[in-house]
Amino acid sequence: MRTASLPVYLVMVQKELLELVRSFKLLWVPLVFVLLGIMQPVSIYYMPLLLESAGNLPDGTVIDIPMPLGSEVLAQTLRQFGTLGMLILALASMGVVSGERNSGAASLILVKPVSTLSYIGSKWTSMLLLTWGSLSAGYLASWYYTGLLIGEVAPGEVLGSLLAYGLWLSFATTMTLLFGTMLRSPAAAAFSSLGLSAALSLLSGLFPKQLGWNPGALSGYAYQLAADGVRNPDKLWWAVSATALLIALALAASAALLGRSPAVD
Amino acid sequence: MNEPLELSRVLAIIAPMLAIQLVLAVIALALCAKAEQTRGPKWMWILIILFLNVVGPIAFFIAGRRNEA
Repeated sequence: MRTASLPVYLVMVQKELLELVRSFKLLWVPLVFVLLGIMQPVSIYYMPLLLESAGNLPDGTVIDIPMPLGSEVLAQTLRQFGTLGMLILALASMGVVSGERNSGAASLILVKPVSTLSYIGSKWTSMLLLTWGSLSAGYLASWYYTGLLIGEVAPGEVLGSLLAYGLWLSFATTMTLLFGTMLRSPAAAAFSSLGLSAALSLLSGLFPKQLGWNPGALSGYAYQLAADGVRNPDKLWWAVSATALLIALALAASAALLGRSPAVD
Repeated sequence: MNEPLELSRVLAIIAPMLAIQLVLAVIALALCAKAEQTRGPKWMWILIILFLNVVGPIAFFIAGRRNEA
């Protein structure tokens, strides 16, 4: 007995959005991203002054740090989002499935004519909304500050790197969802997905020729898009399609796993 | 652009960051005060939120609330 799945999915999405608002995630996660985004250009802008006043340098030392280009600062901001930002996103969304599963809410919901796919899909939609919202807010704030303090960056470069990086963070978020369905402990889920993401981007950094198509390479492409344009666009499109495919597979796998054991024994 | 140390300029640059930190701390404190149960004693969380900049409120949002789904 299954009712039409789209309306069910929409109702579930509404519930998840309400949950995002109620837990204040929709407020604090973007705020933290904005803070991270602003901090990067500001600290670079004040770096020479800070060094001058904080270091015990002998009199007459000349500190001459060349001011980086605006696009380099944006790439550094993305690196911040890739470490601290990804950590925060993973920690904020690690418990979405396992929490409801441990408390029994998941089996209560799945008794109703709600398919596991629309259950997982609604979680995924709300997590992606949080990811993209936070990333865009933080990145735009960083862009604004970089333009004011360091140097203008063309909107096209910003948009391209934002899209590439958003896809990479979406992949990481989807992995958090997959591991969150697979593993009982939320912390284990968060750190498995962080570990996988770190491993993938390390691998694509080590073997850019062989593994340039994997999702981990997307972060590198985003830095290139912000800074000086992508060197091999073919690989970028391979990475984008591979990531989309893997995200779809991960969603199907999560739904199947959840269907096998909706409650923790 | 030429005088990075001018007081009004420093304030204008720093103010949004301070405001965000303040907002985070206020939300965390309000939620902490409202919560029926926190993970660990409430006064401990209040101290953490007040004295650890940025990290304190985030730690509370992630780990402090018990009835979070």
